[in-house]
Amino acid sequence: MYGWIWRHLPGSVWVRALISLVLVLAVVYVLFQYIFPWAEPLLPFNDVTVDNQ
Amino acid sequence: MSVRVVVRTISELCLTVGTLIVLFVVYVLFWTGVKADRAMDHQIDVLQEQWSKGAAAPSPTPRSGSGGGTGGNGSAAGTPKAPGPYTYGGPFAVMYIPRLGFTWNKPVLEGTATQVLKKGLGHYRGTARLGQEGNFSVAGHRRTYGDPFKDFPLLRRGDAVVLTDGTTWFTYRIDKGPYKTVPSDVEVIDPVPRKSGYTRPGRYLTLTTCDPEWGHSHRLIVWAHLDSTQPVEAGKPAALRR
Repeated sequence: MYGWIWRHLPGSVWVRALISLVLVLAVVYVLFQYIFPWAEPLLPFNDVTVDNQ
Repeated sequence: MSVRVVVRTISELCLTVGTLIVLFVVYVLFWTGVKADRAMDHQIDVLQEQWSKGAAAPSPTPRSGSGGGTGGNGSAAGTPKAPGPYTYGGPFAVMYIPRLGFTWNKPVLEGTATQVLKKGLGHYRGTARLGQEGNFSVAGHRRTYGDPFKDFPLLRRGDAVVLTDGTTWFTYRIDKGPYKTVPSDVEVIDPVPRKSGYTRPGRYLTLTTCDPEWGHSHRLIVWAHLDSTQPVEAGKPAALRR
């Protein structure tokens, strides 16, 4: 999977490394901004009320 | 497809899942706190701004909260002279509990939905207004989102819970708690919560959070009664001075 991505990135080794880094950062951003906020309420830390509104 | 490719793909998947889990833990333990601290500071700023504009007339300035989608579309009418309903999702008071730390202060917002509790403590809709007769009930996170009620079990009888709505300081004194109960026990926020030992109508306050710390099987409750009030012009109440 990662090998496949690496082989399909353009440019020299350094350019590829840079693109990889940007890709990783983009994935982390999407996770923190969208995926985790969606997943987090599924865990029990939010249940602090007595009427479960 | 060779065995090598299969093994490699499975290994990569395992590594990816492991990294995801670590990132998620970082998010829950650390990043929600950063976000909540920012959101709570913003809510307090909103309140200070409202109050500084003159507390006599609640200004109809639109507030967007912090972009969480549930931000109120009107200012919180927290002044005693114009007791309109609190704006859902909007801040209307600041709470201080010296036992939880001398600098501990959190905004109180209207509503107890998940989105509201990310930005501060939540006032149960339908319970009494701040300082009024009935049971002013507030819920807060024990863990995650700034851990506002992390030290909830430290609260003791006689501890002060101080709130201000910009015009008045309300000092409540804890009478009972922390009391452990089940999540369906809605009677704890009744106007006269029976299990607290109160028998007559009065000006009460109830705080709720979850128990155990990272779980959701139970709730911790404390009850307090309104001990004293004073206008903000008179300075901070004794409970906040040191």
